[in-house]
Amino acid sequence: MVADTRAAFTARPARLNEPRAALVEEGIDGTPRLVNRQPVEVVREEWRVLDRWWTEEPVHRRYFELVLAGGQNAVVFRDEERGGWYSQRGA
Amino acid sequence: MVACILIPGFELRAALRDRPRLALRPTALAPLPGTEPLLGPVNAAAEAAGVRPEMRLGEALATCPSLILVERDALLVESSWEGILRRLEDAGFAVEPVEPGCLYFDTRGVERLYGGVAPALRRALAAVGASWDACAGAADRRFAALAAAAVARPGQALVVSDDPQEFLAPLPLTLLPLEGGRREELEHLGVKKIGQLAGLPGAAVAERLGPDGRRAWSLARGEDGTRVRARKPPAEIAERLELPEAVGNELTLRRALNALLDRILARPERGGREIRKVALSARLVGGGSWRRTVTLREPSAERGTLRAALGPKLAELPAPVLSLGVELLALTRSEGRQLALVRPEGDELQTRLQEGLRQVRASAGSGAVATVVEVAPWSRIPEQRSLLVPRD
Repeated sequence: MVADTRAAFTARPARLNEPRAALVEEGIDGTPRLVNRQPVEVVREEWRVLDRWWTEEPVHRRYFELVLAGGQNAVVFRDEERGGWYSQRGA
Repeated sequence: MVACILIPGFELRAALRDRPRLALRPTALAPLPGTEPLLGPVNAAAEAAGVRPEMRLGEALATCPSLILVERDALLVESSWEGILRRLEDAGFAVEPVEPGCLYFDTRGVERLYGGVAPALRRALAAVGASWDACAGAADRRFAALAAAAVARPGQALVVSDDPQEFLAPLPLTLLPLEGGRREELEHLGVKKIGQLAGLPGAAVAERLGPDGRRAWSLARGEDGTRVRARKPPAEIAERLELPEAVGNELTLRRALNALLDRILARPERGGREIRKVALSARLVGGGSWRRTVTLREPSAERGTLRAALGPKLAELPAPVLSLGVELLALTRSEGRQLALVRPEGDELQTRLQEGLRQVRASAGSGAVATVVEVAPWSRIPEQRSLLVPRD
């Protein structure tokens, strides 16, 4: 049987701008130094998002808007609740 | 007759032209990033050290630790090859380029001009330039001409006046377009020469080796085409923008592209013609280069259309760029275009949109067309603001 390559699209609603796991190496102050093996050129902005603290799944993220050495813009955050780094669009 | 000009290892030769010192040291073309780590062409010094083309990088470096790897320079290859094609066209040869380093032309048009096939080939080799070490071959069939060029020495022109099958018979199988595995399979069966393959029954070859084997068998019997489709010489309109420093930011690059499009569309040589094919090229930080060509579905001289066609290519740039260039490769007259008398709107527009979406679904599958639905636009958590809902 030949696999249907079109099955990659799911017919269910999906969230837009879902976070994606990122490989981030951080400096002493917790700011990213390398993102997916690319050096960080500039940290343009930094902010925190604290939300849903009244639920069982609180959100606590430390966001960074970066310019990488290749010239790309990137937004990454550290999940302070569960640990781990993620990149995200639309932030 | 069909003539073939062959320049073995063209990409490496092009990369080494401005670094002549490397020609005497073992040098090979580096593998493309993100592909299997196999070497490209190698020079004579590397071959003498035991390095072969398509050798694994690790094995090659173990065999010859002093091996120098040269980056592929797509822009330099393209411009060098274009230079050769134009010199040949200026000398009267209507060439059909196959790939950088290999081209065909029909000798009928130039035999009387240069006094025969062999003098025409020598003139073609002179037009290419002695420094490229090109080889030339001519025969009644394309593959025989290619084989003649492949066995000729650098600077030599070999004319096959006999039956092409007789000429091909003693040559090795490596000249045939066969996968390495298939060739080995044939060699294990004792078939080592083209003539031995040609002597086998065609049905048996097709059954054992599939369509590629059948095609190789036809070539071995001298049964390929004689026709040469000469190219139309491309337009010579190009613009390049040198950037003050390396730029990787897509927004800045898009602005540079807009400036280039404005400049190139204003060139008087275009003469009101519309653009059919356009190339975008860049010189990268670190010495490499990058190039993409785009053929427009409908010729256009609209800045917006060209920007829409070329803009997304900027996202494919592998590194920051030092200069950005645009070339108009094919121009066409805009006569005879069917325009809509009335702009579609209302139901007509809706029907066209539905048809477009149906075609996208048919090619990409169910769920390929989706609508963005805002569910909590006020949320501080980006992924909770909107959903992608399939429109099936």
